[in-house]
Amino acid sequence: MKMRYLVTAMLATSALSAGALAEEDYKIVDEPLELSIQMNHKRYPVYKEDWPVEIEARKLTNIHLKDVTVGANLRTDSENTGKTEALNLMLASGKIPDIVGSSRIKDFVNQFGPEGAFLPLNDLIDEHAPNLKKFFEEKPEVASALKAADGNMYYIPYLPDGKYGRAYWIRTDWLEKLELDMPETVDEYEAVLRAFKTQDPNGNGEADEVPFFARQWPEMLRLVTLWDGRSSGSDTYHDFYVDNGEIQHPYAGEGYREGIKNIARWYADGLIDAEIFTRGSSSREFLLSENLGGSTHDWFASTSGYNRLSEDIDGFEFKAFAPPASISGKRIEEHRRIPIKPDGWAIGGTNKHPVETIKYFDFWFTEKGRRMANFGAEGVQYDMVDGKAIFKDSVLNSDEPVNNQLYQVGAQLQGRGYFQDYNYEIQWSNEFALEGIALYDEGDYLIDQFLGVAFTADEQKVYDKYWGSIRDYMLERQQTWILGTGDVEAEWDDYLAQLDQKGLSEVLEVMNSAYKRQYGG
Amino acid sequence: MSGVKLEKIVKAYGRLEVVHGIDLEVKEKEFVVLVGPSGCGKSTTLRMIAGLEEISAGDISIDGRVVNRVAPKDRDVAMVFQNYALYPHLSVFENIAFGLRIRKESKGHIEKTVKEASDILGLTPYLDRKPAELSGGQRQRVAMGRAIVRRPKVFLFDEPLSNLDAKLRTQMRAEIKQLHRRLGATSVYVTHDQVEAMTLADRIVVMNDGNIEQIGSPMELFMNPANTFVAGFIGSPPMNQLQGNIEKVSSGLQVRINDTVIDLPNNTNVEDGQSVVLGIRPEHISLSNNEGTSAMSISLNLVETLGSEALLHAKFGEQDMIVKAETNGQIDHLSEISTVYAPTDLVKVFDAKSGLVLSEPFSQGSNT
Amino acid sequence: MSSGQDEKPESGVTEYDSKKSFKDKLIWLGDHFRNEWQLYVMLAPTIIWFLVFLYKPMYGLQIAFKDYSIFRGVAASPWVGWEHFHTLFSNDQFIRAFWNTIKISALNLLFGFPAPILLALMFNEILHVTYKRVAQTIVYLPHFISTVIIAGIVTTAFSPTAGVVNTIMGWFGLDSIYFLTRPEWFRPIFVGTGIWQEAGFGSIVFLAAIAGVNPSLYESAVVDGASRWQMMWKITLPCILPTIIIMLIIRIGNIMEVSFEMIILLYQPATYITADVVNTWVYRQGLESGQYDIAAAAGLFNAVVAFVLVMVANTLSRRYVRTSLW
Repeated sequence: MKMRYLVTAMLATSALSAGALAEEDYKIVDEPLELSIQMNHKRYPVYKEDWPVEIEARKLTNIHLKDVTVGANLRTDSENTGKTEALNLMLASGKIPDIVGSSRIKDFVNQFGPEGAFLPLNDLIDEHAPNLKKFFEEKPEVASALKAADGNMYYIPYLPDGKYGRAYWIRTDWLEKLELDMPETVDEYEAVLRAFKTQDPNGNGEADEVPFFARQWPEMLRLVTLWDGRSSGSDTYHDFYVDNGEIQHPYAGEGYREGIKNIARWYADGLIDAEIFTRGSSSREFLLSENLGGSTHDWFASTSGYNRLSEDIDGFEFKAFAPPASISGKRIEEHRRIPIKPDGWAIGGTNKHPVETIKYFDFWFTEKGRRMANFGAEGVQYDMVDGKAIFKDSVLNSDEPVNNQLYQVGAQLQGRGYFQDYNYEIQWSNEFALEGIALYDEGDYLIDQFLGVAFTADEQKVYDKYWGSIRDYMLERQQTWILGTGDVEAEWDDYLAQLDQKGLSEVLEVMNSAYKRQYGG
Repeated sequence: MSGVKLEKIVKAYGRLEVVHGIDLEVKEKEFVVLVGPSGCGKSTTLRMIAGLEEISAGDISIDGRVVNRVAPKDRDVAMVFQNYALYPHLSVFENIAFGLRIRKESKGHIEKTVKEASDILGLTPYLDRKPAELSGGQRQRVAMGRAIVRRPKVFLFDEPLSNLDAKLRTQMRAEIKQLHRRLGATSVYVTHDQVEAMTLADRIVVMNDGNIEQIGSPMELFMNPANTFVAGFIGSPPMNQLQGNIEKVSSGLQVRINDTVIDLPNNTNVEDGQSVVLGIRPEHISLSNNEGTSAMSISLNLVETLGSEALLHAKFGEQDMIVKAETNGQIDHLSEISTVYAPTDLVKVFDAKSGLVLSEPFSQGSNT
Repeated sequence: MSSGQDEKPESGVTEYDSKKSFKDKLIWLGDHFRNEWQLYVMLAPTIIWFLVFLYKPMYGLQIAFKDYSIFRGVAASPWVGWEHFHTLFSNDQFIRAFWNTIKISALNLLFGFPAPILLALMFNEILHVTYKRVAQTIVYLPHFISTVIIAGIVTTAFSPTAGVVNTIMGWFGLDSIYFLTRPEWFRPIFVGTGIWQEAGFGSIVFLAAIAGVNPSLYESAVVDGASRWQMMWKITLPCILPTIIIMLIIRIGNIMEVSFEMIILLYQPATYITADVVNTWVYRQGLESGQYDIAAAAGLFNAVVAFVLVMVANTLSRRYVRTSLW
């Protein structure tokens, strides 16, 4: 009892003294300065001046953000087109606020920044933002990835922390029931899926098990990595990837052909969900809770949560397993958290206080600022324990997910440029997720990501002219092959010829020239 | 014989009875007009004959055959509607031919029949036109043409002239009459216009409140109305109806109305002191004192000039009355009138309670 | 009849009399507004609506001929002539999408247009009032369901494992088909869904037209001996023909507007070959880099096609059935 009192008292003093110190340290202007801001994200349609984190930041920096948000990103679809709706509306209205924060802001600022809608940040960072400067010096690949075609940087991104995104998941209780080992190779994986299909692990007497399923059908394409192919180079589906410093498209590779051939075989044999293209985002929920789904490729955090189903389904256990070794013995997890998101904030072209603004951006890269951006308000959402921010029990044990609670106080705002702290997530990840992450950490299965390129206007024209058609064509053929209405082996040469005729080499050419300019490769 | 016979015909919509068991016999080639105020059940009766309304009770026979449950098309009747019921998308020819085409008549027969009908009706120049391009009278003729070509046993007319203006109505009335003479078909004609009924009918059926008030030739109804309703309905303007009491005196029968006494024919079936309604037709009242008349003092309100005649709207005591007088081209003298004379022979007496006639009928009128 | 009518020709003379001085004309105009201002007030909302919602947006159409940037705005974006149309017509996927649009629309017209008419005729033959009302309400319902939910229903109904269609096919020993990934099934499913969703609601206008047919036409036909079938063919249909024609012309005007959301929700890359229409193609192109100018060019092209079709339909209809929109 006494001890606890003492600790609390110490914490309180340290918080107080830190606060007192901070007020001196972080002040950007002597007189309070108002800057206007537009901020959009589907989780918080407008910026709120009374978010506790913002109140705190205002006190520390003397910069007061005024919300002038127009529009909202209300349209939600699988392709994310709705995410820039509010930005378009803002630009069309002709008034650009001092600060613009949004999801999917990257292409937007890279297109309109050079036209003058947004300020280039490079010099401002060099001269006035020591924390940002240090950050980019430590992560040059991030700095490269942020460059627009003119070499300038136009936004400060939301930078996710932590490496792992998706993993392979399997019903380990089914494995046990059928006396099977955890699959280590592609052949073993196939054998396991086949056993799931034929040996009735759910015990209802019907072969209604769905061995492999996916919420987003392109996740099935990840399976091509088991035959040394690739499905995407980034966390965007069907994206280009970097192969020995050259940009390539995964859907034109030999491994892809082999992979598709085998995926088609699995599909025909019923190892893959027959309705994978149409079942949609509820398929994980449905197939797991109906005791039908066997294995998938999905996010750590959300998928591990399904182990709560053990209350209803006897013995239910759904665990991550290491990527099976491919035919050449490689173990690859193609998906990972991308280190830079296209979300973040930028400085409007008409901003009268660019120096103060960049200093304000810099504030969120200080230790104090980063902590606020990640954990919320000290003493309310978290306490400092041994120099680390630890969420309060009230936050961790609330019925509301931790991230939702944080959005409501102005933390973890992805319309803000900040560097996420993975500690924030680890504190509320469940044991199955942590166990899986540990497993993946052991094996080092991740591969480098393609962080995107910024085109010049001419390159953009080439890309726009050809890419849409090529992508459509790739996806059309891909689906017909998987569905068995086409034969990838027989049609492959014709397919490559068509890609060429549709301008794939031209697209790769501009991709590579942009890539070399941006990353100096 | 292609007559129509109605026996105890009742029409009820749920509990609401609108026709209360009427009997009527239309003889072959006869032109019978059902007349009455709106809502009296005359159109319903006609539609029951056509088969457009079911009969709630009673029997209808056409040509000696009971047709209660026979479909309209098998009753061999043709009907002309108030709003003509022409098909707007068909030409005059096709409108007239419609019934024949439905019956799958041969092409030659259709051509010939339509031609005949259009000749009769003067529609030949308009055969290619659409109904919208015709005048009201022409449309009415087309509607009749449609009925004619069918050569039905019975023609049914449902207020066919009420959508026409007054002048056209008079003309069409005459045409219908002629047509009937020419074709000689049994016809039942519904109208609310007593003038139409008078001019067209062989016999008139006066209906009121779902009952038949009186059946008779136009002159019978005019001269010998069976009750005050018929008296008030037939004739234009209608018969004056004055409240009074019977007095039997030595010289005969009188009606006392206030201070005036009016002589009655001796053969009237009345009691001394009975409350009666005295009926005098406006055209029977004379302005001059002839033999066999009773003087009536009136106060004149208004003189309505019609040309050869004038209507004098007057008060007789407290009661309204109308006098129809010849003008002979002069009306100035009419405004001076204060006494008129009711002819003893021509006045009618009705029972004040039942409204039924008490006077003996005239016999001379039945010949007309 | 009234003195007001007598005055009218007089003011008309003033209006067209060229010898009148300018001042007289002004006076006439002043009088005119003073007398008729209520009419102009009533006209104003329509004019404002046209200006704001139709004519002003037309100004933006020029971006079809410009290298448009939202930031620079319509006026400041440079002209590029027919470049965007070149891009469109040199793209075989656009051409395919164009023909797909025409084909889907033609099927919609062929099967989807008569459906509400048939339905209305059938409703018209129902005599039992309660039954009729219930039946009508039931067929109206799908119209009020969101497209997303309809697409969900369709996806479920045609599911290869649990769908009702494949289940029924299973009873007859037929193999199950993954309908929504089969290009040859897309159009029938799409058109059928459209009919299911809209035929009931679309029948309202025809029911109203049927209700407007003079009942004595039917009575007259009954007396003439026409059967119900003959009455439908010879009276009901011809009498509602003007309504049918007007609806048809309007429908033809919308021929390039297939239910874009429904297609987005139902199609797959595997069915692009039959399902991809101009709007969905533009949508997919647009999300690459916000190519509003290309989208505007495609939209303009759509509008031109629709305009030509409506003109042709209207002219043909005026000539042959004497009914037309204008």
